[in-house]
Amino acid sequence: MLDFKLTEHDRKPQSDADAVKADSVYDLIILGGGPAGLTAAIYAGRARVETLVLAGSLPGGQPANTDVVDNYPGFPEGIGGPELAQRFQNQAERFGAQIKMDSATGVDFSTQPFTIHTHGATYRARTVIVATGAVPRRLGVPGESKFFGRGVSTCATCDGFFYEGKTVVVVGGGDSAIIESLFLTRFARQVIVLHRRDELRATQINRERAFANPKIRFVWDTVVEEILGDQTVNGVRVRNVKTGETSVIKTDGVFVYVGMEPKTEIFADQLELDGQGYVVTDHRQRTNVSGVFAAGDVQDPLYRQVVVAASSGAIAAMEVEKLLGEYSP
Amino acid sequence: MPLLSEEIKEQVKKQLADLSGPVRLVMFTQEFECEFCAETRQLVEEIAQLSGQLSAEIYNFVTDEDKADELGIDKIPAIAVIGAEDYGVRFYGIPSGYEFASLLHAVKLVAQGEPELSEETTKVLAEVNQPAHFQVFVTPTCPYCPSAVMLAHQMAVASPMVRADMVEAQEFPHLAIKYQVMGVPRTVINETVHIEGAAPEPMVVEKLQEALESTELSDD
Repeated sequence: MLDFKLTEHDRKPQSDADAVKADSVYDLIILGGGPAGLTAAIYAGRARVETLVLAGSLPGGQPANTDVVDNYPGFPEGIGGPELAQRFQNQAERFGAQIKMDSATGVDFSTQPFTIHTHGATYRARTVIVATGAVPRRLGVPGESKFFGRGVSTCATCDGFFYEGKTVVVVGGGDSAIIESLFLTRFARQVIVLHRRDELRATQINRERAFANPKIRFVWDTVVEEILGDQTVNGVRVRNVKTGETSVIKTDGVFVYVGMEPKTEIFADQLELDGQGYVVTDHRQRTNVSGVFAAGDVQDPLYRQVVVAASSGAIAAMEVEKLLGEYSP
Repeated sequence: MPLLSEEIKEQVKKQLADLSGPVRLVMFTQEFECEFCAETRQLVEEIAQLSGQLSAEIYNFVTDEDKADELGIDKIPAIAVIGAEDYGVRFYGIPSGYEFASLLHAVKLVAQGEPELSEETTKVLAEVNQPAHFQVFVTPTCPYCPSAVMLAHQMAVASPMVRADMVEAQEFPHLAIKYQVMGVPRTVINETVHIEGAAPEPMVVEKLQEALESTELSDD
């Protein structure tokens, strides 16, 4: 069954490329084009706040890489993640936000107006909403980088096809790990789920589906120590955390789903971060720097839901509107 | 039964409303041993209806061999996206799923004939004086792939020496094996240099320079 997705991937905003002003000062720059950033853009646009969104390389954020979103209110049949992302974007553009496919490479929040650098440009803004989201965490073991794209993957929907009739290992025990394991059973002969605990973190409905699938085998209390191979992956060296025993499991591929980490490297010396790297915010989405707000997964280690990210984006934009009103005479 | 829904057609019409010049979708097909040739042809013909600037030309890969040679087409289904000139923008395999966005991007890009690359990249590409061939391997279910395809197509438009192909890995398994594709996007430049994932523009430029240097060495 063929489908045709209309994700907007333009390298410049579809509205008017030349309208992006590199020299002047925006009221608001939103870093990130996921549910939090785009919801903030909708609210800011309606408040007539002049807004630029630097949406990064994958517009729509994590939903754009999610097959179906079943728990966003208003879509009783569920909605495709890419379509939901596109709808957020259309709505933000309808209210005048400029959306640019660019990512911040550095920021200076120490003086007003704030400065944001990208690969090719520098922007200035009176307020900023940080909504850069979270990215898949890596295992950080030998072989992982070397074999990335040659047997190590973080995208089962992208790469599952290459494992037709083969054996793959999935590392992790959360919902992502289980959903992707189920997806991989369409191609792979066997899917081995390696989990460091002795029970899954995934929700009950996903656990039941996984336990019922004859192609999925579980290896509990086990962590990966090294990814092995020659030209491509041929195995993983693992350790049982209870017994300390190590062994080698033969596999053709390793899919890593061990959670997410916030994308905050460029803010490390600019904003207060918690021990895990999340931006610290108060209940009004304010950071420790006046005029800089944060919304979505970049400041949320707990819930990481589209609806929660969207609501924090709305709060941040309403706070921006209020603050800009106070700045103006 | 049309491939594109009415809703998608309306959105495509909107996206292609202000094409600045004519674009030809030159498609190569044959009637047997080609899984998605019929659908690719239908897709090209449906899209061509959605803008006055667009036209579809259908050729037979076997009987129109001269035309295929002229455009450097070596496998099917193939689409050459040609604007005021042929910039070397190609699609091998059907651009469905996420790659549909790459096809629309390519149409807009060649219509405009002006790439949207950084100054540094443009400068490097202007100095390229030997052929460079990008093959970007994709699957239609890969949300990261279009950015790699689009960047390669931008570079093809920026330099007459550069040509760039989207290659749908599932339709060309022998190429996936030849180039050891086990994850997408995977970009192969001049057979020698590989890029895993959707790399940022400066890194792709670096890899292009690396490929050109190694080509020079092997020429000696």
